[in-house]
Amino acid sequence: MMSTHDSSGGARNIGAPVCASAPHVETHWRCGLVDGVTTGSSSKLIDTECRAELRLAKGRLSRGPGYETAPRLTRQRLARVGAMLKLREHARYHMHAAGVVAPDGRAWLLTGETGCGKSTLTYALARRGWPVLGEDGVVLQHDSIGVIAHGWHDLLRVSIELAEWFPELRDHESQVDWQDTRHRVAVGATFNKRAPVAGMVVLQRDSRDALSPITSTAALATLVRQATFLFVPDNHAQSHLSVLRDLVESVPCFTLHHSPAQLACIDATILGACA
Amino acid sequence: MTRYRIVPDALSASLSDGAVLLNLYTKRYFSLNDTGSRIWSLLEHQASEEEIIETLVREYDVEKPEAARAVNRLLDDLVAERLIEPASV
Repeated sequence: MMSTHDSSGGARNIGAPVCASAPHVETHWRCGLVDGVTTGSSSKLIDTECRAELRLAKGRLSRGPGYETAPRLTRQRLARVGAMLKLREHARYHMHAAGVVAPDGRAWLLTGETGCGKSTLTYALARRGWPVLGEDGVVLQHDSIGVIAHGWHDLLRVSIELAEWFPELRDHESQVDWQDTRHRVAVGATFNKRAPVAGMVVLQRDSRDALSPITSTAALATLVRQATFLFVPDNHAQSHLSVLRDLVESVPCFTLHHSPAQLACIDATILGACA
Repeated sequence: MTRYRIVPDALSASLSDGAVLLNLYTKRYFSLNDTGSRIWSLLEHQASEEEIIETLVREYDVEKPEAARAVNRLLDDLVAERLIEPASV
């Protein structure tokens, strides 16, 4: 009757709290390399490498100790988390998913754990002319026509090892980041700003290909793991969960076990899902 | 007649085929099937354990002893996960 899940497995999930979360009680959480301390509607963001701080209070971001002198990457990391928190105050919620826009102008979200193939399949779709909303994140909002996915534009990066399937990547070999365990290279794509969501696919790498519909409850349980800041105990948490609920109740949701064969036909797989 | 209250750290989303519960304090989340979701909605309306059992017997094809066991088991799980607590009389 009840299945238990633990949110701590996902790379983008918030860590364990260290104290109670009643209103105006300090709550500690973590997002990547950024520690967060939320008290009521105010948050303090602390970079764990440089100890630089960024603060969010009354809807405004302000620089804290160490921010001005921190390296650019640190400031970017803090600003990114600050922006996600600020969006949350405006009922827009960041989600760890790729977003692509089908020829009919509606968005498909590709989600799953880190390494499940989001970037690879996003690039496969981008090569076939599907605009990209985000490679590793989108921002969800519920408006009068349903759930909208807004772009969260990071560089689209794919592994150079995919050159076997995408020969044009060989032109980028000199730009490979060899420090990166996945040996990724930035590639070009057309980005869109927003699109109404048509469906969601939970990806899992496999040696075979199989697309199966999943229930709303299973889809929401999957999304909870990928929803950045869902567990921050402020007064936006229930609205955040409600948007995810509205998403899985309003669009078809699938799991896709995918082999490299999908690199050549992922567009047909997605378009065929609702046929 | 035991009654329970839902703790402030618990969030819920009711769906067509079940429900998902979150505990903001423990950072754990839970999925409920259709029956579990019905029980949760009765808890939201402050129904007692006995009232929940009677409702299930009325709405589902289930005998009272079996319904009582299922309800008791779920309530125990929900208490253990700090999603509900016995309401003070």
